[in-house]
Amino acid sequence: MLLTDDVILRNNVKIIGNGPQTLVLGHGFGCDQNMWRFLTPELQKNFRIVLFDYVGSGSSDISQYNKDRYSSLEGYAQDIIEICQALQLSDAIFVGHSVSSIIGGLASIEIPNAFSKLIMICPSPCFLNLPPDYLGGFEKQDLQELLNLMDKNYIGWANYLAPLVIGEANSSELIGELSGSFCSTDPVVAKNFAKATFLSDYRHILKDIKHPTLIFQSQNDSLASPEIGQFISENITTSELDIVKADGHCLHMTHPNKITDAILRYVDNHE
Amino acid sequence: MNELQNGANLCPTYSLNDFPCGAFVTNAARVIIYCNDYFSTELAWQPDALIGKSADVIFTIASKMFYQTYLIPTLLHETTCEEMQLTMIDGKGVRIPITVNVKTDNNGFIYWSFFNASKRDKLYEELIQARETLEEQTKQLTLLASTDELTTLLNRREMKMRSILAIELAARSQYSIALIQLDIDYFKKINDNFGHPEGDRVLKELGVVLKGFARKTDLVARFGGEEFLILLPNINQQGALLVCQRLHQLIANIKVGDAAIKVSIGVAISNPESNFKTLYTEVDSALYKAKESGRDRTEFYNRS
Repeated sequence: MLLTDDVILRNNVKIIGNGPQTLVLGHGFGCDQNMWRFLTPELQKNFRIVLFDYVGSGSSDISQYNKDRYSSLEGYAQDIIEICQALQLSDAIFVGHSVSSIIGGLASIEIPNAFSKLIMICPSPCFLNLPPDYLGGFEKQDLQELLNLMDKNYIGWANYLAPLVIGEANSSELIGELSGSFCSTDPVVAKNFAKATFLSDYRHILKDIKHPTLIFQSQNDSLASPEIGQFISENITTSELDIVKADGHCLHMTHPNKITDAILRYVDNHE
Repeated sequence: MNELQNGANLCPTYSLNDFPCGAFVTNAARVIIYCNDYFSTELAWQPDALIGKSADVIFTIASKMFYQTYLIPTLLHETTCEEMQLTMIDGKGVRIPITVNVKTDNNGFIYWSFFNASKRDKLYEELIQARETLEEQTKQLTLLASTDELTTLLNRREMKMRSILAIELAARSQYSIALIQLDIDYFKKINDNFGHPEGDRVLKELGVVLKGFARKTDLVARFGGEEFLILLPNINQQGALLVCQRLHQLIANIKVGDAAIKVSIGVAISNPESNFKTLYTEVDSALYKAKESGRDRTEFYNRS
């Protein structure tokens, strides 16, 4: 078993806010806990909030990085599990962005008592096109070429958020502001995370998620279409789907008020 | 005078079309508003075929994602982005690795220069391949260096190293650990009467039993010939006793001929002062006691 202090340092865990319930916020690929900064000012008035960086991201302790462990989403889920155990969390609400929604889903299956609800922002259980049943949006060879380009350019890549991710229709100013403060990511770590994110298929775990789940999907998101939200919603029987009239993959950054209000409403209605 | 020197006296008219690289300009909507002749002479695009098109048309899907997610945000912040490797598609649909340098101005125009990187790309491919091979070999060697070939349990060196860390962690976390030493009774007789292959089978099967029995956080090793070592974190004497009783039961399922395998077990429970050396001495003395007292039993080291 890991010591509480060790986990807190390893995952750069920060706890803010006050409230009877705890929110655990899981960042997406290539980002860190900073990405929640547009939501936390409001949410911390109502909740105790646990922020963290996955090992290899943000200000986590990179010396604890283990390529094998973090080559599948289960390894990242283990980070969440260990954080929940270290903080002795029960009935917390997990909010995950993009791939973190699935990572949180995996954790909720492992330690169901730690959570009471899940909130997924722009999730996708599989980015690959696997016709005829499922279209994740991308051909495998395109994603492999993307990983190859990450190698050749030797950059953390996602240390900048993208117009693709933010949504083309959002302004340059917004893109500039949103991408400005992103931390650098070690290229090897970034590639491993990208591989675990983009080449995996976690559709099969959705039916094992039993917690009430709120799914936000953007109407126009090149990484996760509304149809993918529909697919997730059909497979998690206890879920609700909220298609937001917006562009891009980062609703919590581009539309923080809408997301905050919806979270508060959802939590109120599911007391 | 040779031709070059002749040329030094000329003052030619020159333009972007004379440069051995591609150059184009896109506007704020990323539509191509200018491209030099390199695209038609070297990259098989019809002259002017690119004008008025989105820059997207010359990139592969992955490159498009890459420039949208990295290049454009970098430009927004730093107004320049150099040495990006991307893949472009020429007028005949052939994919060509390229290096791209880009800068932008206040009006949102982006100035792109393209250099063929086909040879450099081969080198990168080789480097990536070499790194992957090395990583794979390191993984295999680490596994070989840390496990026992016959049972695939941890070997002596690895067990020692991990146990030292586990005992330190236990002391910091203020819980105790149990070190269990397990030795097959009359193992020599198995080898003598049934042959070494049968002895190896027994060791292997015991390895499977111990591996299946252990929790994720337990350490299990073949520490010597027929000697096995198990470290259980966060457990007290009662817990360890239950574990050992279960071990005796499980191991009895391994048979040689008609007879069940039997083992002697020594156990030592750590205190805050324990280290691997002292615990191993203690567990060894407990095992000796188990052997002396008739075998097929568990004995705990009594520190008092």
